[in-house]
Amino acid sequence: MSFDQSNAPFMERLVFNNRLAVVIIFSLVSLFLGYQALQVRPDTSFAKMIPLEHPYIVNMLEHQNDLANLGNSIRIAVAIEDGDIFSTEYMETLKQINDEVFFLPGVDRSNLRSLWTPNVRWTEVTEYGFDGGPVTNHPSYTNEEDLEELRANVLKSGEIGRLVANNFKSSIIEVPLQEFYPNPDNQSELLRLDYKQFSHLLEEKIRDRFQSENPNIKIHIVGFAKKVGDLIDGLIGVVGFFGIAFVITFVLLYMFTWCIRSTVSVLVTTVIAVIWQLGLINLVGFGLDPYSMLVPFLIFAIGISHGVQKINGIALQSGGADNALVAARLTFRQLFLPGMIAILADAVGFITLLVIKIDVIHELAIGASIGVAVIVFTNLIMLPVTISYLGISKKAVERSKRDAVREHPFWRFLSNVAHPNVAPWMVIVALVAGTTCFVYQKNNIKVGDLDAGAPELRPDSRYNKDNDFIIQNYTTSSDILVVMVATPPEKCSAYETMEAIDQLQWKMQNLEGVQSAVSLVTVAKQVIMGSNEGNLKWQGLSRNQDVLNNAISRAPSGMFNAACSLAPVMVFLDDHKADTLKRATAAVEEFAAEYNTDDMEFKLAAGNAGIEAATNEIISSSELLILVLVYIWVGVMCMITFRSLPATICIVLPLILTSVLGNALMAFLGIGMKVATLPVIALGVGIGVDYGIYIYSRLESFLRQGMPLQEAYYETLRSTGKAVLFTGLCLAIGVATWIFSAIKFQADMGLMLTFMFLVNMIGAMLLLPALARFLINPEKVRKSSGSKLSH
Amino acid sequence: MREPTRWRTQTTQLAFAIGQRAQFRKQSFAARVLKAAGLGALLMTASITPALAADTVAEAPKPAIMSDLASHSLLLDVASAGDRLVAVGSRGHIVYSDDQGASWTQAQSPVRQLLTAVYFADASHGWAVGHDGVILHSSDAGASWELQYRDPALDEAADPDGPGLLERPLMDVWFRDANTGFAFGAYGTYLRTDDAGKTWEDLSFDIDNPDGFHYNAVTAVQGTGLFLVGEMGTMYRSPDFGDSWETLQSSPYDGTWFGTAGTGLEGQVVVWGLRGNMYRSADFGDSWEQVELHTPNNGPLEATLLGGNLSADGSLSVVGAGGVVVTSTDHGKTFNVAVRPDRVALATAKRLPDGELVLVGQQGVVKAAANGLPENQ
Repeated sequence: MSFDQSNAPFMERLVFNNRLAVVIIFSLVSLFLGYQALQVRPDTSFAKMIPLEHPYIVNMLEHQNDLANLGNSIRIAVAIEDGDIFSTEYMETLKQINDEVFFLPGVDRSNLRSLWTPNVRWTEVTEYGFDGGPVTNHPSYTNEEDLEELRANVLKSGEIGRLVANNFKSSIIEVPLQEFYPNPDNQSELLRLDYKQFSHLLEEKIRDRFQSENPNIKIHIVGFAKKVGDLIDGLIGVVGFFGIAFVITFVLLYMFTWCIRSTVSVLVTTVIAVIWQLGLINLVGFGLDPYSMLVPFLIFAIGISHGVQKINGIALQSGGADNALVAARLTFRQLFLPGMIAILADAVGFITLLVIKIDVIHELAIGASIGVAVIVFTNLIMLPVTISYLGISKKAVERSKRDAVREHPFWRFLSNVAHPNVAPWMVIVALVAGTTCFVYQKNNIKVGDLDAGAPELRPDSRYNKDNDFIIQNYTTSSDILVVMVATPPEKCSAYETMEAIDQLQWKMQNLEGVQSAVSLVTVAKQVIMGSNEGNLKWQGLSRNQDVLNNAISRAPSGMFNAACSLAPVMVFLDDHKADTLKRATAAVEEFAAEYNTDDMEFKLAAGNAGIEAATNEIISSSELLILVLVYIWVGVMCMITFRSLPATICIVLPLILTSVLGNALMAFLGIGMKVATLPVIALGVGIGVDYGIYIYSRLESFLRQGMPLQEAYYETLRSTGKAVLFTGLCLAIGVATWIFSAIKFQADMGLMLTFMFLVNMIGAMLLLPALARFLINPEKVRKSSGSKLSH
Repeated sequence: MREPTRWRTQTTQLAFAIGQRAQFRKQSFAARVLKAAGLGALLMTASITPALAADTVAEAPKPAIMSDLASHSLLLDVASAGDRLVAVGSRGHIVYSDDQGASWTQAQSPVRQLLTAVYFADASHGWAVGHDGVILHSSDAGASWELQYRDPALDEAADPDGPGLLERPLMDVWFRDANTGFAFGAYGTYLRTDDAGKTWEDLSFDIDNPDGFHYNAVTAVQGTGLFLVGEMGTMYRSPDFGDSWETLQSSPYDGTWFGTAGTGLEGQVVVWGLRGNMYRSADFGDSWEQVELHTPNNGPLEATLLGGNLSADGSLSVVGAGGVVVTSTDHGKTFNVAVRPDRVALATAKRLPDGELVLVGQQGVVKAAANGLPENQ
């Protein structure tokens, strides 16, 4: 072999002198991790999506068993288009649906409620006391007389707005679910409710079947189980996006290289990186949730971009080198270190996400860090080795040879940004844009989810349309903040407790954004009034303990626990905007500070609004921390690499501008600061810094050769500009497909990341050289000892 | 004799095992029927553990909280103080309006208890009564209030082992002049003052009511005397406007009466109560004839009638559960029945000089057209 190895670094000798061993080891590892990757399962555990360490959530989990009945049920609204519910047609259909639902797996049959179940009753006060009966007391409703009786019973039932729509054109089947239910074939065995299967059963056996049987019937389904089912379906849909990203990348890659061999090599090694990553997260014990689902996309995009840098380098080297092996070795020598540094920057950017105390984000951070680490092996080592065997097509080599000498008008034009007359304008434009957007986002950005309905899904998704239907036709809100009132056992009905709860309810009801508040006090007052012949003048709490005990004994289950040591107060909110939540939780905390005693404690918070309030607090407190950590880290990385403060500023300032523009875009598009947008900060900056590192390292090397700034920048663009452009495009395409995800926060993440990747690239290409005009002294660079990346 | 279900707690001190409470919650319909038949007391569980250690039965009164929604939550009575309207209700709320009910201001109130009735002896002096036996007084037409009286049992030393407190809310109040007035309440409570409320004397034994039935409403019948009605068909009259009371045995109905009013004619009185029952007497209660009330669908009215008033122009307006408003312009001979579409329970009604009605009830105060329906219909 004629190649001179004497000055080759150790890593290069290790890899390229044992090429066959490297290929065999990589193949074996790929086989093993590929097998592991096949075991990865979708995993949508509720607990992982909430900030478990937040005091609200700690309180909620402490009382989880006592609150069990508040959560897991679905509501099926059966609506009739033409006519009203008091018709034979409607009642017969409702009965069939009711029976069908009854036999679905996981349904808590004893607590099923609908017009057809005997537990839905009417009551009235008569001279003889309470009178009552089931609302439906005929096996079928075929004549006007019976239907008239039904109408009267419904009016007396107090279910209007709850089980029966305000306009009498729909009614609800309330279906409580059991997370674990006995196997029908083997009663001693407990099965876990499969949300995906259950959601599909609802579609097939209920919605599709009855809507097609009778076009006059429309069915709307809401509830946690349905939402999770839809989320899982959306998750599976995302897999299809991977295919789309793959095809687009293939086409672009081919256009970039004009070499099918290197195109396939890059794609294959990158897919191997994804397979390794999936295999490794399975080994670590993680599943794929809606957040970590996005990691393979990121890894794919980052892998491709590193692969492109490699191919670009090898093609350039091939012009002067004897053969593919030498070209690969030279490229390896030149790009291994900057590649490592860029990947290290990515990985640490991801690791800063660990400050967010939410499990899905932890898994995302760890999964993504593992993924980028894998790229070191696949795209920095495996890819050059592969190319050293396969070589690059003649056509591609010819092209890069031509490119190396010919004049590029576009790059020439672009290099003007470093011109002394243009650079100040670039900086001024950036400053103006930066300050304007900073002020705009400061005033307009909101924390939390801003759309109505289930924030995980799109506002126009079927689930959210169903949710809208129920909100519009029933007197209920889907945003519930639950305050837990904890007392010693048997004290939940003490007058002092009840009186304080009543005050809390009243305080909350007077709060802007609160629709109503309900607790055992609400029920107790009604029962005390009912026990006094319905006289409104008795609708108050009694100081007599026996009266109170009797009164709450009629409360529905879930209003207090079996030990009478916990009573939830349900506060129904207008929406789940951060301001509304903040106002509500602040009011409760103020009340708790005044009323909490040793025997009575008002604790926040459960209910979806309670969880969101906790999440919002975590987001607000984490956002700044993540930004500071990411920028400190990126700054340190640049300082180590270039040993120059001006260089660091040149690289970091465009990133900060992008972050500000990104926030302004979020404010403009009405995307709230939420769990899903926090990773964007870390990912956007961590990956965005790659461009700056690549561009500056080349710029520095040309400056060192004695070129003036603008000329050095032109040479930088000519050698690496195309690769940088292409990298930005690859990253953007990898994440842009998420914009079409059925899951709202994935779409938001996709949009924001696409924006961040593209703007970071533009910032690095336009602003970095303009800043260099002011900050970098070419003379000093030439005389300096040179950075780690000098060649 | 049929006995309505009343949860008279002084007779139900039966301490059951705690676990039975949960069982009670899920009791069958049969159990409810039993209870309705009067056996309820036996089924009830009772825990007589004292709520919290305290020196007295009840804490010192705390002033009502000023709230934006005070005029939109439960209100039970409304009265005129000159041109001003004053309404009272839940959590000690007192609200007043100087523009005939268009807008309402919350007054300072010294208590948080449910207030049940309000009466003004003249344009500026008024009294409000309510739970805990509270009596409040205002001498500035309802803008500010002071506490004159509350159930003395509340200030006694608490006895953790004794029977629970018997709740005796006051239900109605009437003043003969600015000094002499009467308050009536649950379990036969009857109080009198002759010094504008500075002192109140418990005269419960002056009225013949051995079973301690609740008094629900009192009214002055033009030129004739006072008429008092209550639980289980009880009726009393006082020809000398409160100095002596006579028990009437002529009650045509043994369900509860919730309200009574004169008709504007001497000796004429109307009473009403459970299940749409209404009777009229032309001889101060000696004899009665039923007033037939029919819903707009022409069925018999079955909704409970709660409160009502005779207005200065001689028209009667009575309201009740389910948003029912019944009005009469012929001294109570015939009534028009309206059912408000929101079906919100109403406590009482007052006709304004322009003929419109002010209704108070479950959702606070609302103005209505002369027939009781929403104004825009």
